[in-house]
Formats: sequence, C-alpha cells, structure tokens
Amino acid sequence: MAERRLECSWKRHVVEQLKQRDRVQRHAFEEIIHQYNRLLEKSDLQTVLSERYQSDKYDLQNRHDSSPGLDLSRNDSLQQEMAQMRIRHQEELTELHKKRGELAQSVIELNHQIQQKDKEIQSNEAKMEEYQRQIAELEGECRELRGKLQDLEQANQTLKDEYDALQITFGALEEKLRRTTDDNQELVSRWMAEKSQEANKLNAENEKDCKRRQAKLQKELAEAAKEPLPLDPDDDIEVLAEDSGKGTGETSPNRPLSRTPRRRPGNSYGSSPECTETPSGVCADVRVPATALHVFEAHDGEVNAVRFSPGSRLLATGGMDRRVKLWEVVSGRCEPKGALTGSNAGITSIEFDSAGSYLLAASNDFASRIWTVDDFRLRHTLTGHSGKVLAARFLLDNARIVSGSYDRTLKLWDLRMKTVFAGSSCNDIVCTEQCVMSGHFDKRVRFWDIRAESIVRELELMGRVTSLDLNHDRTELLTCSRDDLVKIIDLRSNAVRQTFSAQGFKCGADWTRVTFSPDGSYVAGGSADGALYIWNVLTGKLERTLDKNHSSAINSVSWSPSGAYVVSVEKGCKAVLWSDM
Amino acid sequence: MADDKDVLRDVWFGRIPTCFTLYQDEVTEREAEPFYLLLPRVSYLTLVTDKVKKHFLKVMKAEDVEEIWFEYEGTPLKWHYPIGLLFDLHASNTSLPWSITVHFKNFPERDLLHCPCNSVIEAHFMSSIKEADALKHKSQVINDMQKKDHKQLWMGLQNDKFDQFWAINRKLMEYPTEEGGFRYIPFRIYLTMSDRPFIQKLFRPISPDGHTHTLGDLLKEVYPVAIASDDEAKRYQVVIHGIEPLLETPLQWLSEHLSHPDNFLHISVIPAPSD
Repeated sequence: MAERRLECSWKRHVVEQLKQRDRVQRHAFEEIIHQYNRLLEKSDLQTVLSERYQSDKYDLQNRHDSSPGLDLSRNDSLQQEMAQMRIRHQEELTELHKKRGELAQSVIELNHQIQQKDKEIQSNEAKMEEYQRQIAELEGECRELRGKLQDLEQANQTLKDEYDALQITFGALEEKLRRTTDDNQELVSRWMAEKSQEANKLNAENEKDCKRRQAKLQKELAEAAKEPLPLDPDDDIEVLAEDSGKGTGETSPNRPLSRTPRRRPGNSYGSSPECTETPSGVCADVRVPATALHVFEAHDGEVNAVRFSPGSRLLATGGMDRRVKLWEVVSGRCEPKGALTGSNAGITSIEFDSAGSYLLAASNDFASRIWTVDDFRLRHTLTGHSGKVLAARFLLDNARIVSGSYDRTLKLWDLRMKTVFAGSSCNDIVCTEQCVMSGHFDKRVRFWDIRAESIVRELELMGRVTSLDLNHDRTELLTCSRDDLVKIIDLRSNAVRQTFSAQGFKCGADWTRVTFSPDGSYVAGGSADGALYIWNVLTGKLERTLDKNHSSAINSVSWSPSGAYVVSVEKGCKAVLWSDM
Repeated sequence: MADDKDVLRDVWFGRIPTCFTLYQDEVTEREAEPFYLLLPRVSYLTLVTDKVKKHFLKVMKAEDVEEIWFEYEGTPLKWHYPIGLLFDLHASNTSLPWSITVHFKNFPERDLLHCPCNSVIEAHFMSSIKEADALKHKSQVINDMQKKDHKQLWMGLQNDKFDQFWAINRKLMEYPTEEGGFRYIPFRIYLTMSDRPFIQKLFRPISPDGHTHTLGDLLKEVYPVAIASDDEAKRYQVVIHGIEPLLETPLQWLSEHLSHPDNFLHISVIPAPSD
C-alpha cells in the first residue's frame, strides 16, 4: 500500500512536471512563432514580387536612359510603358480566358461522349441479360427434353422386354401345337385303322350272312326241285339259250327285249323271282327341262351324287350324311323309297349296274359298297384304298368294278382287287368294254386297257378333271374340268371336239359331275352358284340355265334315261327334280 | 497505465521555442531577420534546421556559405546531442526563447563533428540504440529485428511519427519478467563543469536482493555530489527532459518512459539557480 502511494506520488510528480514544462516552454510560444513564420513568408513573397516589378522597371529605366529626354516625357513614356504593360497583361488575360473556354468546350464534348458510351454499355448489358434469360430457358427446355428422352427409353426397354417374353411364350405354344398336331394325326390314323378293322369284320359278317342265305336257298331250292313246277318251256329255253350264247350277259341296247332277267354276279342258279325292270334302251325323246317340278331336301348334308336307275324310275342320291337314298319319280315328284346305310363317311359317287338291281356307291371312308336295290341290303364292301374313293363303276359285265380314289390309284375289283397306280388322284371314271377312262387331279384323262392293266393313252386338259361321262354309243367323252370348261372329246380322233362354257358356270368342286343326255344331244352341268346349265351339243351353245331352285353349289347331275327328268343335287342338302313341264 | 502512455507522448512531443539569429559578422546582402522555431526536444539540431538554413541562405551569397553550425553564448552546440539535452544543460533556467546563433563560416573543427548529410545523423542514432540494447538485453532484441524495423525507428524520428517509432521501440522496452528489469540501465550523466563529457557506468535496475533501484540510488552510486545532504541547501538540479523527477522514482521506470528515442537516459546535472 505504501509502495502504491509512493509509486503514485513520484509518477504524479513526473506527470505534473511534464505538463508544466510544456505549458511554459511550448504553449506560450507556439502561436507566436507560427504567426511570425507566416508573416515571414508573406514578406518574402512581397519581396519576390517587388523585385520582379523592380527588375522590369530597371530594364525600362535602362532603355530610356540611353535616349535623353525631359522628365515629363520620361514620365509620359513611363506612363506609356505602364499602359503597354497593362495592355500586355490584359491580352494575356484574354488569351487565358479563351483557353479556358476551349477547355470547357472539350470538357462538354468528353462528357457527351461518356454519356454515349454509358448508353452503349447499358444497351449491351440489356442484351446480355436477354441472352442470359434465353440461355436459361433453353437449358430448361434441354433438361425437359432429356427427361422425356429418358422416359421414352425406359418405355421402349419395357416394351422390348415384353416382346421378348411374348416371343418365348409363342415359341412354347408353337411347340405345343406341333406336338398336339402329331398326337392328333397319330390318333386319326389309329382310328382309321380301327375303322378298317371294323369294316373287315362287317364284310366277314356279310359274307357269313350271304353264305347262310345261300345255304338256306339251296335247301329251299332243293325242296322246290322236288316239287313239280309249272314251267313255260319256251321262255326258259329261249332265255337260257340266249344267255348261254352270250356268256357274260351283256345288255345290248339296240335290241328290243321283252324280258331279260338280271343275273346276279357269281350266281349260276337260274332265274329267281326278282323284280325286273325293262330297260328302255335309247330314249328318243330327250326333252330339255324348263321348270322345276320338285324341290326337296334330299340329305342331311351335302348331296354329292345322283343317278337315275337304268329303268328311269328310281333315283339314287348320295350325300355327306353317309346314306344313299332311293327315290321313285312318281307323277312329277320324288317319293322316298328307302335308304342304304353302311357307309362310314360321305358318298362320293353312285352307279346302278346295267340291270338296275345293284347299286354301287363309292365313299369317303376309303371303301366302295354294293347294295341290292330291292331289299337295301349291303352286299359287298370293297376296301383297300388308302384314300377317299371318288368314283366306282361297274364294268360292263357287271362282274367287275373299277374304283378310283384320292390315293392316286384305280382298283379293279373282281372279287379280288387289282390296284393300278394312276399317278394322280382320280376324280371320275367311265368304262367301255375294253377301256377304262379316268379323269385325274393332274388335269389328265388316262385311258386304261383292262386286260393289259396299263395306260394306253393320256389326254391333258387345262384344269383338274372333275367329271367324265360317255355318250350312249361310246364315241364321245364328256369332261368337266376346274377351269370351268366342259369339253367333248372324240375318242376316235382323240381330240377335243367341242368346248362348252358359260358366263356364270363355275366348277364348284373337284367332283362336280356333268352328264350327257341319254341321246347325247345335250350336256348338263351344275355350277358353283347353284345354276344348272344345259348346253346343246349340236349347236355348241348354252340351251338353258336353271338357277332358281338351288341355293348352293350343284355337285352332281343325272339325266334320266327316259330323257324326261333331270335331277341335280347340291351342297346344301337339297335335290331338285327338273322336267320340262 | 494511461499515465505511462501520456508520459511517453509528452516526452516525445516536447518542444523548445528557439530564436535563430545570424551571426552578425556573416556577410549578408541585406539584414536577416531572426528565425523562430519550436525545436523538438528528442531530435537533433542538424535534422530539424533545414528551414533555418534556407531562411538565412536567402540573404547570403552562395560563395559565402560553408557548413552551418550553431552556438549558444559562445559554446558551439554539439549536434549529436539531443536538442532537449543541449537546452537543459546550457540554457535551462534562462529566459525563453532560446537564442541560438547561426554560423556559416569558421567551423570549429575541434569542438564539433561535421554533419554533411542526414545519413550521418542516422548512423549515429542507430549506433546509440544498439549500444543501449547491448546494455539492456545483450543486443539480443536489436539483433533479432529486421533491417526494415531499424529503418522504421529512424523514419519515425525523422518524420516525427510517434506511433511509427514506438511500434518498434516497445520491443526494446520489454524485459523477461523473472528478471524484473533490464540487465543494465543505459544512462549518461552530463555535467556542466567537468572535463569528461559524461558519466556512463554499469548499473543494475534491481539489486541482488530484489530491491528496485531509484534515481537516488543511481546518483549515490555514480555521482553522489549531485545529491544534497539533508542540512545543506540544494546545490544541483537533476534534470531529465526539462523536469526534475523525485529521487525515489524507480530507475527501471525512468529508463522505460523517460529515455530519449536513442534509448538512453540523458541526465543533466546543473547548478541550482540562485535567486
């Protein structure tokens, strides 16, 4: 504490002493010395100025000293000198003023330039701002577009993935389909095999049945032979003599016959009580039909084949409903007589034998069948084709049958089969005593020698051959082909003699049948549009078109041997009986 | 502490009113007026008298001018002493302003050093600082400084810039706290009646037993004559910077605050005025 006080005392003393010293030594004199120095400066300046003026004066005085003069004049001259000096000084002053004006002017100009430059700078800045804004906008757009692009790429990628997945699924399904198709084919072939087995069994049964009946008949005959019978020796002997002379019992159409019993193929026993028909042979009054007499539903499905019996009384139609239906033409109408069953698939062609007691039908189940007309019983089933049988015909001796099939073969049946490879699916067949003519898918008509069982001739047409027909004297062959042309070929010269076509005549199927009229003067054919066309052979022109009654394609046509009726059958289950009444 | 700062400022800004008169025997074209000037206590004569020289050269011809030198009442004034010291030593109790006579001829070779240019003053000033630091810190502080710091010290003095000078000078006033003070105090005691110019001895600010030495202790040690005994009248004044600090003022404090810019404590012992 004492030290603190002590410290303060000497320090305070020093501080006070310094302050006092300054007061005395500095503050008292500061102002005075300052003012004194200023005065000194001013006086120095005055001396300088006065010296300058004095030096001028001295110069002037010196000049004037050289020329003598009065004091007055010297005074005047002095005054003049003063005036001159004043003028000089004023000139200097004006010059300086002018210079100042010029400088001011240049200052104004420079200011103006600066303002202009400022304006330029402002406008440039404004432009820059504008550009900046545009750039920002464009950048925004760019970002948006990039975003959209990314989205599209993603969507595209998704679609591609889906597509790949679908491809894989498709491949798998294709594979499945292929396997299923194979399975299906296998099953179908197995089923066909089973069916053919069934058919064989049926055949065997039929034969057994036949044999049984034969046995019964034999027994009956034996019993009957024991009884005395009333005989008409003339007729019998006549018949027998004729027949024995003939041998094979061919019907000669030119000879008028009163009664000719039909022979059953393979049966050597005499005549039997069966209904016989009187073949009228060549009918002289062929009449071109004009009106439809009877329109009726013939079958449950497509009606493929139609045939008049040789006696012109019966009509047989075959359809896709596997039945052959028999009709009787009675007073302008077709009355159903019965149906022949036994086929397993649609009927493609029908033929009566020359006696009219047997009916041969070819079917899609690869077999042809023979029924007896009277009792509608299936007598024979001819299997062996490996394709649809499209046509089957009796050979003229009624003992042999030739059938043509989709499997490109013709089979000659004579209780034993003969298979001839034709080379193309056979659509239709006609027979003469030596020759079989077949019309094929490959547009050819093949002429076969029966005995040699080989092709004698081939004729090429323009379209697939769908139908063949012979005129009654076997000199002309009628062909119908898919090129919608119906041709008559002269068999002797082997050349196309006539071609029939019509505006609307179109061949509707590969088995569309056309037919000669019984006298060979007309040709009838059904068209795909349901119209029946009849051409006149002699003129070569279309005679008539009957198109009112069919609603679908006409498959087959048959002219009654009497010439009075024409029947046409169509795809749409209908058959039409035409006549000229 | 605010007091200490004030003390430093007052020391730095101390002024002496001076009247410079041209020696009458100098050849002049016309009469030269005397030139009055407030001289800074801490500076050196030849550093601050350019205006004086210019003023007097106006009235003299060039061929009559040699090196300028100053004298007071017949005594040539040594320019390498600080102005304040010169005044306190020679004209302390005379009437103000201090009248100095300006000479341009007859330079006293034996008494004065030549001062041809300011770099001479700078060299002298810097050597004083180094000598002082050698006593205080064994020259460690001054040697650690860069050349630009030395330059700053000189420029501060030359241009009368207190802050510029003391920014560097305070480093020279620091001491390690365990020491309690400088190693030795740089001081010089100037006497009016003496053969030797000044007394300079090694003197510690702190006694070995931790006792701070005062101004009285220094004088007792170095120049006991200056201190009057109790019964006698005071015969001498101990003046530093124009004031008489109490004898109990600590020497360390004096060295820190009342040193000249050259870091020396210049003490004048003058005869007390007899009224």
